[in-house]
Amino acid sequence: MGKWSARKVFRPTVTLNQALTLTNSRKGQGPQKLHYLACGFQPLHLSTFLRAHLFELLPGDDVELLHGAYGDLRGNLELAAQSPAIAAAVVIEWGDLDPRLGLRASGGWSAAAKTDILGSLSSSMALLESALANLGVRMPVVVAGPSLPLPHIGNTIDAQGSVFELDLEQQLAGFLARLARLAGLRIARCTGTAIPAETRMDARMELMAGFPYKLPFASDLAQSLARVLWQAPPKKGLITDLDNTLWAGIVGEVGIDSVSWHQDSHTQIYGLYQQMLGHLASMGVLLGVSSKNEQSTAEAALGRQDLLLDAKSLYPAIANWGPKSASVAQILKTWNISADAVVFIDDSPMELEEVKQAFPEITCLLFNGKDPDKTLRLFAELRNHFGKPLVVEEDLLRQASIRASAEIREQGDNASSPEFLSTLAGTVTFDWRRNPGDGRALELINKTNQFNLNGKRISEGDWQRYVADENAVCAVISYQDKFGALGRVAVLLGTNEGGKLRISHWVMSCRAFSRKIEHHTLDALFLHLDTDRIEFDLLPTAKNQPLLESLSAIGLTGSPDSTHELSRTVFLSRCGPLPHRQLKVTE
Amino acid sequence: MNDIPQRVASCFSNVFPALRPEDISRASTASLASWDSVAHVTLLSSIAEEFGVELEMEDFDELVSYALIVDYLEQKQK
Repeated sequence: MGKWSARKVFRPTVTLNQALTLTNSRKGQGPQKLHYLACGFQPLHLSTFLRAHLFELLPGDDVELLHGAYGDLRGNLELAAQSPAIAAAVVIEWGDLDPRLGLRASGGWSAAAKTDILGSLSSSMALLESALANLGVRMPVVVAGPSLPLPHIGNTIDAQGSVFELDLEQQLAGFLARLARLAGLRIARCTGTAIPAETRMDARMELMAGFPYKLPFASDLAQSLARVLWQAPPKKGLITDLDNTLWAGIVGEVGIDSVSWHQDSHTQIYGLYQQMLGHLASMGVLLGVSSKNEQSTAEAALGRQDLLLDAKSLYPAIANWGPKSASVAQILKTWNISADAVVFIDDSPMELEEVKQAFPEITCLLFNGKDPDKTLRLFAELRNHFGKPLVVEEDLLRQASIRASAEIREQGDNASSPEFLSTLAGTVTFDWRRNPGDGRALELINKTNQFNLNGKRISEGDWQRYVADENAVCAVISYQDKFGALGRVAVLLGTNEGGKLRISHWVMSCRAFSRKIEHHTLDALFLHLDTDRIEFDLLPTAKNQPLLESLSAIGLTGSPDSTHELSRTVFLSRCGPLPHRQLKVTE
Repeated sequence: MNDIPQRVASCFSNVFPALRPEDISRASTASLASWDSVAHVTLLSSIAEEFGVELEMEDFDELVSYALIVDYLEQKQK
């Protein structure tokens, strides 16, 4: 993939001395981000490595780690929940589930002991599950399950799995799957390592100092923990070529029925790519097509019944003979997202270069249908570009709402007129409940740029603390009309102290623009909180011009000398008729 | 060229960032308050990594000063 890969490259490992040098050089610089590392062993070098990897992922911040006591993972989880940490990394080893599965216990490996281990595992897992659930509602938590080998106490040769080991692993898999469903918890997979399980353990260091890992593995484990905890925002859209990318062959030359993507024509890899795109669409990723073809030819080929993804999920699908960058520009406009949130895939290095020159922020990836191994690596790369901790309902509505927005835009200037909006039969719902487990609200705050009061992001831990404040005001705003539901499209956060309402965060998805939802929001704020004046932490950013224009029309400007206050009188004089029905949900 | 003292000093600086460079050659578990058990394991692991050596358990009991560590590594190199 080489030149045409823009994925962030993670170093395979950091040495202990590099980690120490890095942490010394960054210590005390920037605002402190306190993390908790909870484990049952001595954290020692894992702590150093984790801190170094967190420093790499949090440039400009100082990172400090808190630890608990040796040998008491559950107690450490409780301490973590009471700590001021903003996030936690939890590492579970077999010895935490039953000390007899570690090296420092002398409880025996007899048949009776093994039966007892199997029988008691569920109760120790339940206790940890309860403590982790409690921790997960307070801060984001990454959990790594056992990565060290079990003691050699299976009754088989090591090439054969014993019932004892398989039973243990089955219980562990169920335990981790239950944890993955808990709010705030993410399970780490140590994917970056090529280190076999047998050489991860440092038995000497475990017996001498209570630290069980060889240094290279500790570094890889720490990197996985940090990466899962602080994930870059996922990309939102993928633009694909058609010929020799979505299918094998050039449809304009060989005809609609002769392009292929099946095993029997030895072009299965293209079918797998179609399936991969279908999978991404099911996660809410926007898919578009930029192809050098006749539009009618491309549409006819995309209409084939044996296509392995729903052709409707490819929107817009643009085929013409102009530069692909022009089609890409058109697709970005339809999606209303920025180029840095998009991946462009083509089998031609020249086309990739042309698009890259026009949109340097786009991630351009080469499709090589002749090398299935490279294609599978492309899939892995796509997983890392589009993967997210949680898929929410709105992800699945996105494609349909983009189409609806395009239909509305076809109305031109008329699209924002009160007369047209009132024909949409829209409903704006304000949910005033404070729901700290609501991943969608936090996602909106942390990825919205254009309609964003000040560009300020918040961590999961900050969010949980924010909404736990009794003076906090929080509204999650949903919208639907005759074109369908957009789901939760806006979030507003603030405080209401002594009758003084101050809004610190206000974001709205670009899919909800031009529907006067911001007008409804202000109206609902004045009504729900029965206030005559609202202060806003308004700040111009490089990207929030749409918000500034919208609020300026209502009487709120982003100029530095402005007070950023809006009175109900000014708002009502400028708001005009509100076109939609308003509903509210309270505790 | 014998660069062992400099490389050991570099490990000391990593583990004890507050230690002045001129004090490193006199550092020992007895003279340095921050040289506790955790720092000891970190220091010797740092040195083992830097020099590509595997330390035995008894080495952890014996290597309790800068001078002893440098001597140990120089003996190993012979």
